Formats: sequence, structure tokens, C-alpha cells
Amino acid sequence: MNTLRLVVGLLMTVVMLGLAGRRLLYLYRVGGAGQPVEPGRLGAVGTAIRAELVEVVAQRKLLRWTAPGLAHAAVFWGFCVLLLTVLEAFGSLFDPTFSLPVIGQFPVLGFVEDLFALLCILAVVAFVVIRVREAPRDQGRRSRFFGSHLGPAWFVLFMIFNVVWTLLLTRGAQINAQEVNTTDNLPFLRGAFLSQAIASLLAPLGQDVNEVIETVALLVGLGVLLGFTVFVTYSKHLHILLSLPNVALARRPSALGALLPVSSGGREVDFEDPGEEDLLGVGNVEEFTWKGLLDFGTCTECGRCQSQCPAWNTGKPLSPKLLIMGLRDHALAKAPYLLAAEQERDGLSDDARAVASVPLVGDTGYAGDPLAAYAPLGPGGVIDPDVLWSCTTCGACVEQCPVDIEHVDHIVDMRRYQVLMEGAFPDEAGAMLNNLEHAADPWGRGASQRLAWAEPLDFEVRVLGADGGDRIPDDVEWLFWVGCAGALDDQAQRTTRAVATLLHEAGVEFMVLGEAESCTGDPARRMGNEFLFQMLARQNVQTLDDAGATKIVVTCAHCFNTIANEYPQVGGSYEVVHHSMLLGRLLAEKRLVPVSRVDRDVTYHDPCYLGRHNRIFAPPRELLGAVPGLRLAEMPRAKERAFCCGAGGARMFMDETLGTRINENRAAEAIATGAQTIAAACPFCITMLSDGVSTLRPDDAPVEVTDIAEVLLRAVRPDLDDVSPPPQAARP
Amino acid sequence: MKVVVLAKYVPEPTATWAFEADHTLARESVEGRLSELDEYAVEQAVRLKEAGAADEVVVLTVGPAKAVDALRKALAMGADRAVHVSDEAIAGSDALGTSRVLAAAADKEGFDLVLTGMASTDAEMSVMPSMVAARLGLPQATFAGALSVEGGTATISRDLDTATTEVTVTLPAVISLTDQTDEARYPAFKAIMMAKKKPVETRSLADLGIAAGDVGLEAAGTSVLSIAPAPQRQAGTIITDEGDAATQLADFLAARGFLR
Ligand SMILES: Cc1cc2nc3c(=O)[nH]c(=O)nc-3n(C[C@H](O)[C@H](O)[C@H](O)COP(=O)(O)OP(=O)(O)OC[C@H]3O[C@@H](n4cnc5c(N)ncnc54)[C@H](O)[C@@H]3O)c2cc1C
Ligand code: SF4
Ligand code: SF4
Repeated sequence: MNTLRLVVGLLMTVVMLGLAGRRLLYLYRVGGAGQPVEPGRLGAVGTAIRAELVEVVAQRKLLRWTAPGLAHAAVFWGFCVLLLTVLEAFGSLFDPTFSLPVIGQFPVLGFVEDLFALLCILAVVAFVVIRVREAPRDQGRRSRFFGSHLGPAWFVLFMIFNVVWTLLLTRGAQINAQEVNTTDNLPFLRGAFLSQAIASLLAPLGQDVNEVIETVALLVGLGVLLGFTVFVTYSKHLHILLSLPNVALARRPSALGALLPVSSGGREVDFEDPGEEDLLGVGNVEEFTWKGLLDFGTCTECGRCQSQCPAWNTGKPLSPKLLIMGLRDHALAKAPYLLAAEQERDGLSDDARAVASVPLVGDTGYAGDPLAAYAPLGPGGVIDPDVLWSCTTCGACVEQCPVDIEHVDHIVDMRRYQVLMEGAFPDEAGAMLNNLEHAADPWGRGASQRLAWAEPLDFEVRVLGADGGDRIPDDVEWLFWVGCAGALDDQAQRTTRAVATLLHEAGVEFMVLGEAESCTGDPARRMGNEFLFQMLARQNVQTLDDAGATKIVVTCAHCFNTIANEYPQVGGSYEVVHHSMLLGRLLAEKRLVPVSRVDRDVTYHDPCYLGRHNRIFAPPRELLGAVPGLRLAEMPRAKERAFCCGAGGARMFMDETLGTRINENRAAEAIATGAQTIAAACPFCITMLSDGVSTLRPDDAPVEVTDIAEVLLRAVRPDLDDVSPPPQAARP
Repeated sequence: MKVVVLAKYVPEPTATWAFEADHTLARESVEGRLSELDEYAVEQAVRLKEAGAADEVVVLTVGPAKAVDALRKALAMGADRAVHVSDEAIAGSDALGTSRVLAAAADKEGFDLVLTGMASTDAEMSVMPSMVAARLGLPQATFAGALSVEGGTATISRDLDTATTEVTVTLPAVISLTDQTDEARYPAFKAIMMAKKKPVETRSLADLGIAAGDVGLEAAGTSVLSIAPAPQRQAGTIITDEGDAATQLADFLAARGFLR
């Protein structure tokens, strides 16, 4: 019998691993059809190892969702430990009394193995409960599993269960077969409490029967495990294998903050003199880098991203999960074409050739059915333009994804192709791009308006060049980057005045660029117009360098992100702080002293580009905390999980015609805290939330939306009227 | 069918303009661009081509050396070729002089249809289409909010305050288009790069058979005596109705001579 089980066991192993290996090799070749990765992606070994430890071993992101996180951690660690039992099982194919070298005889090993086997089973139960409670059938779009492959997911749970129970049965029977309790052959199994329990149940059957049970269970167990391995290579459960490289090769600290420059063939594209063959953005699935394709293959369809996406949560067709799945399915469908040599392509089936010519972004005719907005096999497009243009680049998906998929980068890369190569984007945004190009601000107001905000102030704001010098004088510490909204938008001007007044109050010498400032380029870049971004960015860097700027304070989260994180890409490196940080320092140094109480209930909205993209969560809250009398109430979705206001990704300049409105969703949440003041720290958020508040409660009790600086100013200079807010939300 | 689009290179409207001693615009001091209103004319011409109604779209400008930027923009939007009339002697021309150059250049180029904007965004006289048509002896249809071309005729709809009229002209003709025609496209980067390779011909006055003394500042029939910035708009008066709003309103109008 021992020979039989050895032969059958080895045969199974060879066949199954052969199948899995063949599939993996195929997938590897598909991945190879992608573009080379951009400069700087590879080589940071230390960071990669750290990431593996934190993200994979310690399951950092998963554990942020307590119940499913613990269940996943149990299965993950369980399978790591059970790998030992699998080794033992393989060993016992050859030698029924096999034990692992060195540790193999420790009873604690048996205990740990059984403990994790038990945890795995409990986790499977937990997963079943989660999947039943969050079933898309009942929950519809609200379920994070909506649109995921449900059958395979259940099958995986069933297989995990099968792997565990067959292993336990084998071990139980093994104990009896070896009469371990008497002959001490496998002392480590003494700690194996579950195996022992099963052994006690099976003991009455006698040693011979147990020997048969052991062999059968062992072979069935190995069969299940190997079958599972093969299944994994054909399913979304590929993440078991791919998450390791995907996490190792992910952008660090995360794929948030700066966008990557446009790369082609692994090199950055020079927009002043682009190469004839340069790819500008992604118009075909193979134009993603191989790391992009790896991302698609790694997605577990867990839907964490979908559950957080502001577009999805307001009834739009975009779900970051469905997007990644759609791209993956399309890549696999196009693979035969991609892997065929040029001259063989004509010989491919009609279907294979048809899939190859489906545009990545094109009209799907989805008519309100979100699942139909993704058509990996075409014919209209792999994803609908409505999917592509719904993204606010809020980063909630990237923040949540446990396997570090870089959704925002992929979305922007596809937008780049649409804008740069096809000239295809929502019409309304064209005006914004034209305005940026011609007037250097999104509203087309022009440089001459950029100092209007300072007129009501009772002190003089220093403007670069006003006194004839073209460099920032030595006595000026901070360059105050006002930003387009800060200079031109009525409500944002109030913030600008508040910050200027506070700086003046604290005796900080600062200067503004006045007419020399132009848009940082953020909306152009996030729309995909890298060409325009590069123009604006280079011009601004030139201006800043010519002025000798070193320390810059900004009030706009988008300006902050662009200048701090993206201008280094075009050669401009400065110390950039957000006003919440600088004002915080001035408070700490007692250069600003709150003298008056601000008796109000306040809630704070995290701007995506300050919070998630730049991890500035504490300074604005500390600033509000320093205001006497103020009561801060957090919204349910705060900090890392803050819900977008709807303005990012150039959405500010596009019509929101699909689903419900993001700003109203967020405003409702803010109002529900009972706050009288909704404080934010970005002019675009303030515009969006003001609009939301005024739609939701046109005449109810006043809820004001304002910047944290204005709130602070009320405590520091209660005498000032100009900057104190109107009782109602600003816009009618 | 061949379409010639008249497109003007104008100073950026949002920028601050400076003037020379002779009251002409100090071109160096301000960025220029293709007049935003002329983009609508380029757009309609390119759409005629895309719809198969036109086979060639030529943009024509009269302007300084930098005006070639405006031509490149029109080429990026989809025009096929560009003609740039540039001559020191044209500087300072008035509407009569400019129309003379434009008409001669269009005539030399040959066309079935001339499209123009409704007005330039700098001088805003709106006379050029009529002047050019008169000089060429062709029918004109102005302020078109929509345009269709069929057979040898062009039909426009012209929005007036209380009615919309339809005007049909036989080609060749000169038609000016308003911003009510559809949005002008924002060219893709690829189109901008391709436009760099499209031909731009430069013509001088001599090429057009116009004597230098017939146009330019000296030959202008009008002259600018002085230039002053428009006064800043004052904040309006808001009347809150506390029972006497009608009286206040009437007083306001009376004080300004609108009521007696
Ligand atoms: C500082 C200044 C001083 C001026 N002084 C005088 C003066 O003393 N006397 C006087 O008569 N005029 C004067 N002008 C006006 C100038 O001559 C006009 O700009 C020119 O004649 C064209 O008229 P317009 O810009 O009003 O065109 P419009 O009639 O408003 O333009 C209608 C359309 O004609 C076409 N078009 C107009 N100009 C061109 C062009 N150059 N190239 C190609 N297409 C074109 C465009 O399609 C445009 O949309 C002055 C302008 C300035 C800025
Ligand atoms: S960035 Fe935000 S809006 Fe865009 S897909 Fe991700 S979660 Fe959705
Ligand atoms: S992209 Fe990431 S978060 Fe979204 S479903 Fe896939 S694995 Fe989950």
C-alpha cells in the first residue's frame, strides 16, 4: 500500500504542478507583453522587503477592517503554518513516520499546526457569514462583492475547508495507524489537540482501518490541495501567488500623492521633443507596463476599493474593482493575439482578432447597468467613457487595496491617451483647458485679477517685483502661494485674506507672486493633459527659481500636492507647507494667541489631497483644537476613509450628470454630525460642500462651510468683520 | 469645395495691453492667440470637411510674424494649410486696409466659401466679413448661429431678438459665424504635433499686388487720437424691498435720466 500511495501521490503532484506551471508560464508571457516599467520602479530592495513584512506578513491594510481582516489573517497565517503539515504530508508519502528535521519532534509544532487549522476553519465560517450578509443579491450595488465572481469565491472557501479537514483526518488516522500514544513514534503529534480528538474518534476502528483511512485521506488531501493550486492559477485567487511580487514592486510609500510622469518604453517622455514612436498614455491594454498587468492579475475582487469609491457610492458606473477586473479580462482575451507573432495574427480566430481591435475606452451603450459599462470583449469599448471620467482621483481605492493596486495611475494613463492622442474628453472641460492655456487659471480671469483679494486688507501685502527687485528679499521668510481659487474665487479669497491676516498678526514676513503666479497644472494633469501640465509646471518652477523661493506656504490642497510632490519631477524642490501646518507652528510658538471663544460645533472634512494623498490628518484638527470653546465632531467617514467632495481629478470643471451628487452625499454626512460649521482646508472642497449644503437645506438652520483659517482668525482677531463669515452658507 | 477661413491673431484678452506712441498695440508686450471667436469658424470649416462637404480648408491671417501661432492652432484643429500675409507695410492698417489685404489674399488663394468669426476679440468691429464680401463682389451672410452647405448654396440661421431668420446664399460667398455654432474643439497633443508639419505659406504685399502705400498706418482713413482704459465697473446698487422698493427704483432711474 505504501508504494501505491507513493506512486499515486507523486503522479498527482507531477500532473497538477505541471498544469499549474504551464498556466503560470502562460501568464508570465502575457505579462511580458506589457511595456517596460518606468524609471525608478525597480531596485529598492530594502523598501520592498519592509513592504512584504508590513503588508503581507502583518496584513496591515486587511486588518483595518476588523472582522474580515482577522479572518483573512487567520487563513493567511493558517496556510503559512499549514505549509508545514503539507511538507509532512509529502514526507509521509515516502516514509509514514516522517517528521520535519529539527523542529519536527516538538509537541508545540503539532499544537501550532492544529491551532491554525482550527483558526482556518473558523475563518471560513466567518467568511461564509460575511458573504451571506453582504450578498449582492440582497444588497445590490451596496455590496462590495457586487460584480465580483461569486461562484469561484464560494468554491475557494469550500476548497480551503476541504484542505483543512482532509489534513486533520490524515493526521488523526496517522496517530492511530502509528499507535503514537503507545509507541511514541510521532511525539510532535502529542500537542496536536484536534488531530488527537479525531484519532480518539477513529481509534475504535482499529489500526488496519486507520491505516487505510490515513492513506485515502492523505491522497484526497493532496489531491484537493493540488487541485486548488491549479484552480488558483485560473482564478482571481491568483493573488495568493501574485500579491508577493505586486506588493514588492508597488510604489512606495504609496501610489498616492504625485502622479508619475508619462513614460514610454521605460523612459520619461520629453514633451518638448517627443519621439516619433513614443506612447502617450495608454490606448491599448498592452501599453500598460507589465507591472500594470500584474496589478490586474493580482486583484482579489474583494471590493474594498468599490466600497469606498465616491463615484460608485453615488450611483455612477465607475467601480475601481470592476475597472481592474475589466482590464484583466480584456488582457486575457487579447492574449492569444498579443502572444502570436506578427505574421501569425491573421491566422487567428475571428473572435481573437475582434477582441484585439476593441478600443480600451469606448461607448458600451451600458444604459444605466453598471456591469454593462465594462465590456472586456467589446465591441464598443472595454470601459465606457463614463467610467473613465467619473473618477475624482480621490485615492480611496488605492488607500484600501490590500494588494497595492495603483488604480489612479492606470485611470490617469488612460485619460492621457484620450486627451493627448484622441482629443476625447467631456466637452465642458475644454473651456477649463483653454483657460489654463490662455489665462493661466481655470476660469479664464487672467493675471491682472490675481491681487484683487488683497484690496480689502488694512495692511499691505508684499508682492514680488513691486519694489523693483526681481528676487524675494532676505527678510521675507515665506512665499505665500495664493493659488487660482485663492486669488479669484470669492469664498476662497476670504481664506486667503484670513491666512494673510494671521501671518501678518504673527509678524511673519511673507510675499506673494501676484501676476507672476499661474495655475500649478493640477487639473490639467489629472485630466490627462500632461503637455499642458508640463508647460505650466515648468513656467512656475522657472518663476519660483528666478525669485529664489525656498519656503512656500499654500492654502489649496491641490497646489500643495503639486508643488510639493510633482514639481521635483520638473526640477523644482522647495519646502512646502500647508497653512494648517504653518499656523499650527505659530500657535505653538505663541506668535498667534486665540483670545476669544468660538462657541460652535464644528466638523472637519479631510480634503483628499491633504489627507489620503499627503497624510496631513492631524495639523488641521490640532489647529481647530486650539480654538477655545470649539467642539469638534468627527464624521463617520474621516481621515483615511474620508469621503471625497467631488472636485478632484478635474471633476470640479465637469458636469456631474450621472447618479446622485458627491458633494451632497458628503454635505449630508457633515450636517448629520450636528455641526454648525463645516471646516475644510481646500478651496475646492469648500465650494463643493457649500453648494451641497445650500441644496440640502436652503432655509433650515444655518450651517456654514469655511476654511479652518477663518475659524482660527475669529478666535485671534474677533474684531475683524471682513473675514468673519456670513451666517448662511455662502452661495444662494 | 474649398473653404478659406479668415482667422485673426489677437492679443490675449485677459492680459494687460500696452500701446506704442502711435497708438498701435505694443505687440511684444503681450501674448497673442487665435481669436477665440474665430475658433468657431475654424471648427465649422473642419466639420464641413469631416462631413465630406469640403475637401480643403485653408486658414488665412493678416498679422505680424507671431501670428503664425494662430495659424498653427487652426491647423491643429484640423485645417489643411495656412496662408500668412505679413508685411511691415501693413502695420497700423485700419479696417479698410485690412479688408483690402484679406480680400486680395483670399482671391489669390481661390475658394468656394469664406468663413469668418463674428468679430475679433480686440478691435471688435465686426465689419471685416462685409468689407471683404463687398471688395470681392460676393454675397454675404453674417452672424450665422448655424450653417449648412448643400449643392451650390449655403444656408444659415441668424438669431435675432425675437425671431430666427434663415438666409440662403449661392456660393461663392462670405459667411460670418457666431459663438452659437457648436463648441470649438480642443486639439489633442498628437494633432498639435502633426500641425507642425502642415504647410504655412507666407505672402507679402508684393505677392498680392498691393502697393505698400495703399495700406498701413499712413494710408488709414481714420486715426486714433488717444487711448484710455475703460473705467472700472462700479459695484451695483442693491435695493432691498422694505415696502418702498418701487419708489427707490424709480428714484434710481430718474437720477440717471432714464425717467422724467
Ligand atoms: C490699437 C488699435 C488701433 C486701431 N486703430 C484703428 C483705426 O485707426 N482705424 C480703423 O479703422 N481700425 C483701427 N483698428 C482696428 C483694426 O484695423 C482692426 O483690428 C482690423 O481692421 C480688423 O478689424 P476687426 O479686428 O474689428 O475685425 P472684425 O471685423 O471684428 O473681424 C471679423 C472677422 O474678420 C476676420 N478678420 C479680421 N481681421 C483679420 C485679420 N487681420 N486676419 C484674418 N482675419 C481677420 C476674422 O474672421 C474676424 O472674426 C485698431 C485696432 C487696434 C487694436
Ligand atoms: S480614485 Fe476615488 S473616485 Fe477614482 S476610482 Fe478610486 S475611489 Fe473611485
Ligand atoms: S483592486 Fe484591490 S481593493 Fe479593489 S477589489 Fe481588487 S484587490 Fe480588492
